[in-house]
Amino acid sequence: MFFGSRREEEVIKLVKEHLNTVLQACERFKVGIENDDAESLKKVCELEKIGDALRRDIASKLYEGAFIPAVRVNLYRFSEVVDEILDTLEDCAIEYMNLPVKLDEDVKSYCITIAEVNLKMSRDLISAFESLEKKADLRDATLKIRTREEIIDKVKHDLCRFLMQRDVEGFWVGKIVSDFIVSLGSVSDLIEDAGDIIQILNVSMR
Amino acid sequence: MLILIPLISCILIAFSIGSNDTSNAFGISVGAGIITFRKAVYLLGVLVFIGAVLQGRNVMRTVGKELVALNIEILSLSLFVSAFVIIIANWKKLPVSSHQAIIGSLVGSGFAFGSVVRVDTLLKIVESWIVSPISALLLAVVVYKLMEIVFRRLPVFKVESILRMLLILNGIIIAYNTGANELATALGPIVCYGILTPLQAAIIGTTMLWLGAFLLSERVVETVGKGITSLDAFSGFAAQFAAGISVLIFTTLGMPVSTTYCIIGGIIGVGMLKGVGTIKSSLLRRIMVSWVVTPLLTFGICCAIAKIVLSPYV
Repeated sequence: MFFGSRREEEVIKLVKEHLNTVLQACERFKVGIENDDAESLKKVCELEKIGDALRRDIASKLYEGAFIPAVRVNLYRFSEVVDEILDTLEDCAIEYMNLPVKLDEDVKSYCITIAEVNLKMSRDLISAFESLEKKADLRDATLKIRTREEIIDKVKHDLCRFLMQRDVEGFWVGKIVSDFIVSLGSVSDLIEDAGDIIQILNVSMR
Repeated sequence: MLILIPLISCILIAFSIGSNDTSNAFGISVGAGIITFRKAVYLLGVLVFIGAVLQGRNVMRTVGKELVALNIEILSLSLFVSAFVIIIANWKKLPVSSHQAIIGSLVGSGFAFGSVVRVDTLLKIVESWIVSPISALLLAVVVYKLMEIVFRRLPVFKVESILRMLLILNGIIIAYNTGANELATALGPIVCYGILTPLQAAIIGTTMLWLGAFLLSERVVETVGKGITSLDAFSGFAAQFAAGISVLIFTTLGMPVSTTYCIIGGIIGVGMLKGVGTIKSSLLRRIMVSWVVTPLLTFGICCAIAKIVLSPYV
């Protein structure tokens, strides 16, 4: 990087690794619920731990003095939100594995749609960060993120309306399914938040 | 024996400049974590010495030779009063410019002891006190606008890394000015009176300034640096850079001007670009009052001491 010191380059590299971890977790989660593959879902939990370690590394490099404060604060907040995405994906994976009943095909298809869009959003988030780094147009990537988030909101509401017409086998079954859907729906909100921080970073030196 | 009074007073003023004005040079860089406090202080010491040796003579000549025809009484009284006022002001956290205190007390002592005070030089100095913050203001506006145009085309991380380099460059310019202008103002009278050679004065002055910076400036540097950078490093740089260049120009012209007032001019310039509402008028009033009161106060104290206390003995 032009005029950049090693510490700053290391932070950027770690942030990119963090974002790639989110991408991998989204991929594994989608494969996990598509094929009821417990190994893929367990991998999501492993990726969450890798994400935790990356966030700690980013925090310590920033604490050592990488970047000036105006950028440092936003980069740390960004890594926290990215870590929350991984935490939420882990919750989704655990809740899915703990579901006391098998989801029927209609509900599952809604969930796969959401997981698919989440995966696309995680790619958009990587593009947005790359655009930030290269001074390419950020608007494209962030607009895609916002549009996809609206799609997920719509699917989530449709799924809720669909579920309300179903009988619930018991309180705990209903609670766990509901928790799973809430977690699944909030991944896109967090990706959108991370996209917003990228935009704040972009104007932080203006 | 009498030469000890101006010598000790000079040493105290240099110490005081070190303890208070280090923040002007490296406050932002230390606050932003670009450079450690210890490295900043060592760098300051080297640059102050270079400034005092290379360009200090211009300001020394104006203050020590072209303003007042010095004798040992004028020298002792003016530097003693300056040191006293600067130390009390620092202790009470009042915004006092060491230049204004020294010039005010030199003119006051010269006037009271009936020495020749060159009005044309005095007017030039006062003029430079008015023009230097205004030039910093205008320069800050130009620098800020230029940075906006250039940086708009660059990625944010590249802007950040360039800004880090520029903040260090800023610190270097201001540290150099501290030696060539602030310290030179304090040393000018004793050098021109022949108590010390310019090199001896630069060595002693730099050492005392460095000690002041090393022992007492850490908290001031951190407060100023973190306060400014957490607001806006971009504006902070524009204001400081404009101030640094302004002081450098006035140093070349041999005029003793205040870096702090120039930085304030720069901050007002950037503030005007962002909207006049962002400028704190109460703070501005307080600074303006200090600007007028400091030279008049030291002038008055020197006159009073010379006329009331010392006249029976001189």
